[in-house]
Amino acid sequence: MGTEGLGAIERLTRELTRLPGIGPKSAERITHYLLAHRGQAETLAEALFAVKERVKPCRECFNLTEGELCHICSDPRRDRSQICVVELPRDLAALERAGNYRGVYHVLQGRIAPLENIGPENLTFGPLLERIRRGGVEEVIMATNPTLEGDGTALYLSNLLAGTGVRITRLARGLPSGSVLEFANAQMLADAIEGRRGF
Amino acid sequence: MAAEKALALVVRTVDWSETSRIATLWTRELGKVRVLAKGGRRLKSNFESALDLLTVCRIVLLRKSSGGLDLLTEAQVAQRFPQLRRDLPALYAGYYIAELLADSTEDYDPHPALFDEAVAALTALGTTGVSTPLRLARFELVWLRELGYQPELRQCVVCAAEVEEKDGLVFRADAGGIVCTTCQKKTRRGQDDFLSPKGLAALRELSENPEAWRRDLEDKVRVELRQVLNRYVTYLRGKPAKLLPYLRS
Ligand SMILES: [Zn+2]
Ligand SMILES: [Zn+2]
Repeated sequence: MGTEGLGAIERLTRELTRLPGIGPKSAERITHYLLAHRGQAETLAEALFAVKERVKPCRECFNLTEGELCHICSDPRRDRSQICVVELPRDLAALERAGNYRGVYHVLQGRIAPLENIGPENLTFGPLLERIRRGGVEEVIMATNPTLEGDGTALYLSNLLAGTGVRITRLARGLPSGSVLEFANAQMLADAIEGRRGF
Repeated sequence: MAAEKALALVVRTVDWSETSRIATLWTRELGKVRVLAKGGRRLKSNFESALDLLTVCRIVLLRKSSGGLDLLTEAQVAQRFPQLRRDLPALYAGYYIAELLADSTEDYDPHPALFDEAVAALTALGTTGVSTPLRLARFELVWLRELGYQPELRQCVVCAAEVEEKDGLVFRADAGGIVCTTCQKKTRRGQDDFLSPKGLAALRELSENPEAWRRDLEDKVRVELRQVLNRYVTYLRGKPAKLLPYLRS
């Protein structure tokens, strides 16, 4: 539903309600807080606008970046023979926090979820294959979430990569089935990367 | 609010916030229920990872009297289907089962026989020697029967004459069964799919014999069955299933 025809206060409240995890009561509280703190409202508005205007997917790996290439793809010390495939930028961030991975990434921008109308064609499999075709890639590490849909996505990708000669590995199963990377702790993820095994 | 226990299959989940999730559960005892699971996304929550798609779990829920979402208070994994994670067609068949369950019944309308069939199908799919298309067809036929749409495979749906397994028959989706050759000439065509003698025999077998899916069929016959079931299920739902493009025959 559009909110253009509403008064400014009601419009903000409605927009806030559309955010994940914010109910009508919280939305109203935030609206009144911002009305009482106009300076903060302005800073927030600028930050929102900057994110919308400047942040875009890295042209190589689809991580979020303000430039053409993200900070990982533009770092000469990263090992380009290893590509770690994740669902979302927040999963990449979680693995980076673990701190022991020196390769590069590829962000699929989601997982295959036919029940939610997300098919392989909606994800970045094509550009990933393109990266592999250009050569120099020796290992693809599947780091999709260990949920049913995440595992299904990894399975689809492993079928896609069969015959490319690239070694396919999977994060070790220290992570409980059905969980999400984002909430795993750094040590657990570091161990999962260390202990990865053939797909 | 009264606490109720049930055995549930997770057929849909949506993240609601950082720490809560809304899940559609298809339970044996209560039918379809929609629950709010607080803390559902945290690794160490009391739901562990029970709310992953197509997991069977033992749940306790607090039923809301005022029509809102029920509150999930406990969920423990009872059964998973790990073989679906290694077989793409079987996984997609599993998603299709979830879709049929989620979209076709009202909340709190239990069908224990259909629940048992769904779990049996999910257990068999992706295991050695099981034909995914045939196991899925058996599930669909049970689903149809349980919802009151069992296809008529013995008599012509127009003239009610007994029909032999012979050439020239069609399955008419909008009439819910087979049409004999005589009636095909006399009536306006409906949503018809050609059905060979072998195709009809296979459909009858799968419909009547719970173990018939264990046998395999010629490719041609499997394609026929897929077409008939696709059209009939699509007609009944009023729209094609999201998983249709993913199903193989
Ligand atoms: Zn990048
Ligand atoms: Zn007839």
